[in-house]
Amino acid sequence: MLHGITPHALMLNQIGGYTRMWGAASYEGALFASMATYGTLMTGNAREDLLNSKFIIMWGWNPANTIWDPGTSLWLARAREKGIKILAIDPIFTDSAATLAHQWIPIRPGTDTAMLLAMAYVIITENLHDKSFIEKYTVGFEQFKEYIIGNEDENPKTPEWAEKITSVPTETIINLAREYATTKPATLIAGWGPARTMFGEQYSRAANILCTITGNIGINGGYASGFMRAYYSRERIITGGRKKTGPINLEDKKPKKPRVQDNLVDLNAPPRKDSLYKLRGGTNPANTRIHSNDYYNAMLNGRKGGYPADIKMAYIVATNRLNQYANVNKGIKALKSLDFIVVYEQFMTPTAQLADIVLPVNTFMERNDIAVPWLGSPYYIYLNKAIDSLYESKSDLEICKELSKKLGIKNNLLDLSEDELLRMFTAPRKDIKNYNKMKRDGYFKVKVEEPFVAFKEQIKDLENNPFPTLSGKIEIFCEHIAEKNNPLMPPIPKYLTHEEHYDSPKAKKFPLQLLTPHNKRRTHSTLSNIPWLEEVETHAVWINSVDALKRNINNGDIVDVFNDRGRIRIPAKVTERIIPGTVCIYQGAWYNPDKSGVDLGGCANVLTNDSYSPGGAFPLNSSLVEIELTPKNKIEVFK
Amino acid sequence: MKQMGFYFDQTRCIGCYTCVLACKDWNDLPVGVNWRKVKVIEDGIFPELFLAYLSIACNHCVNPPCIKACPVEAITKRESDGIVIVNSKKCVGKKECDAICLKVCPWDIPEFRDDDNSKMEKCNFCFDRLEQGKQTICVEACPMYALDVAPLEELQKKNGDIHEAEGFNYYEKVRPSIIFKPKFKKQKY
Repeated sequence: MLHGITPHALMLNQIGGYTRMWGAASYEGALFASMATYGTLMTGNAREDLLNSKFIIMWGWNPANTIWDPGTSLWLARAREKGIKILAIDPIFTDSAATLAHQWIPIRPGTDTAMLLAMAYVIITENLHDKSFIEKYTVGFEQFKEYIIGNEDENPKTPEWAEKITSVPTETIINLAREYATTKPATLIAGWGPARTMFGEQYSRAANILCTITGNIGINGGYASGFMRAYYSRERIITGGRKKTGPINLEDKKPKKPRVQDNLVDLNAPPRKDSLYKLRGGTNPANTRIHSNDYYNAMLNGRKGGYPADIKMAYIVATNRLNQYANVNKGIKALKSLDFIVVYEQFMTPTAQLADIVLPVNTFMERNDIAVPWLGSPYYIYLNKAIDSLYESKSDLEICKELSKKLGIKNNLLDLSEDELLRMFTAPRKDIKNYNKMKRDGYFKVKVEEPFVAFKEQIKDLENNPFPTLSGKIEIFCEHIAEKNNPLMPPIPKYLTHEEHYDSPKAKKFPLQLLTPHNKRRTHSTLSNIPWLEEVETHAVWINSVDALKRNINNGDIVDVFNDRGRIRIPAKVTERIIPGTVCIYQGAWYNPDKSGVDLGGCANVLTNDSYSPGGAFPLNSSLVEIELTPKNKIEVFK
Repeated sequence: MKQMGFYFDQTRCIGCYTCVLACKDWNDLPVGVNWRKVKVIEDGIFPELFLAYLSIACNHCVNPPCIKACPVEAITKRESDGIVIVNSKKCVGKKECDAICLKVCPWDIPEFRDDDNSKMEKCNFCFDRLEQGKQTICVEACPMYALDVAPLEELQKKNGDIHEAEGFNYYEKVRPSIIFKPKFKKQKY
């Protein structure tokens, strides 16, 4: 994408750079795990390969609502129609669990790692693991085994142990482990939602390792899980995994001479403490030292609090930041502490309402751009401008061009035209063979010889195609992590609990676990203000009938959902479709406080956990809350 | 006379509402008026649950009860393709006749707007699009290929002749022009 943040980075970098964030709320745990285990994000298979599987496990994965590239649900339906068994593990009886799967296993949120480890226990103790695969392609199985069978901590990770944690019956865990290990090829797709928890990277690591020890890597119908990219459209460098690229130690590097596009603030900054060295770009550069979920703390505490800057100004582009990150009330305090806030918007979003200046940026319909598939499929989309900019709105590029003139920026990439920049950005992509045709047709489909299967080359010929990890193999034990010597970031995946877990002391006061997944009627907070879509489904907090009964709550009642971070007031949907002890507020609804600060819009992030995991996972689904009926006199205010 | 009809694969429907929204967009319908609807059928007690969706619009029945009931003959059935059309110029409005068409429809299809004496409206089988050789907008929009339209006989040849689905009852006297691949509560699919 040209529009969005790119031109602003180009502009700000030429006047000294800016303090940026690392960590993407969607997937940081999965990203860390994928890099640690496989050394790459290219770990997925093309969807059509699902038809080659004999058993598909959708773990915390709801593509019926979250799409995961167009056609994913359709391929799953085709797989089911072909007779392939599909199973869903999720705290919620999701649309995917209900309409795509044969069987649903409900699980307590944040305990997925325990179940995966118990499955590994069954597989290892019953000798069902793929020994020749493990021998040839992996490192560290023995350390993992020691932990699993209990030699490391005198606590074998048995299904009985896991049942107490996960609430999944022992027999179910045993049967699933046996079925997964003995049905080959089998597909375990570990969604990103369960990784959106404290220590979420442990869940992703555990899932990757289950795929590994059953030998389901690099074969048709198998699946490596990981980050799950299945084409190069989002990779910066197209390596195809051919070259072994070990870790890059930034500390040993000579200072880089700045180029015009470099961000001076983090160009030669030391890597942050827990970063894997090789995480150099994208959402997780090693030298970017403020985690996205920690940004409000950075604003409030600055250098005195150990943060790299005293932040004075926020330049907010292409995000409804306040609404879409954890702890909205802290966010308001933090943003209000700044001297100056610029927000680019088309709507008066909760974030825009805090701005000193709102710049009316146009929409994707009023400018040309190129879009890459969301996760990775072999095509590109050219977004031809449909209409001229409405009213005073301008594109991101136009705004930056005009600001650059006023800021006296010379030697400027922003002097190039939209078309020149788009051509420049796409030039290194050798798979886009014909730019003009792409522009004319509005898309470009890449011809691929066969559907992508991650690590096929590695499995065929490891000698010449090592895994892009330090060892050149799949890292069950990750040396890279071991160097960090952080007990909360162990080199083999472990089940860890934390201060906002279901069994923590805090759960006595706030006994319900809150999930904040994506909703089918909007994309994050975008389109949440469309009445046609509001009509599709009433925004409500999902609560199991058992929990509702205890609180005297009936379906449709207005309730308060609250914790120490805030309070929201919305209708209750009393349903069987969620595991008892857990409630769900779909994220993205717009924050709309009343005079006392109670959010009547139902923005889930009023309640979410604003800490972060050592591996970077956002613990949004590790938030404890309580629910009570809204007092009658306050309901009037609601209406 | 050929009879156009719908096919709905209930086992495929993921409840995304794209058909509903595409219909609203094509026909420019306000909030509260839906020519196509998605019905949610939830059943069971945790953890033994059932969920199905039913996407339906006007079924362009072979013997439409709404035509018989309408006091002013505002509803007609086209000779050429069996599509049931409402003539809003003739329709006297919901207040005048107490929305009799809605009362006799077994599936509550006729829609009325909020205003005082609004006229009946409903799915017109996208006859404008069919004339241009296109599919109905709901069929074109469905990402799961769970919907189809064609002459009913053709659909039956292709998909069998199942008249009922979860949440949908068939009435022989009325003969709705829709067939299903159903997803029943007590059935493995």
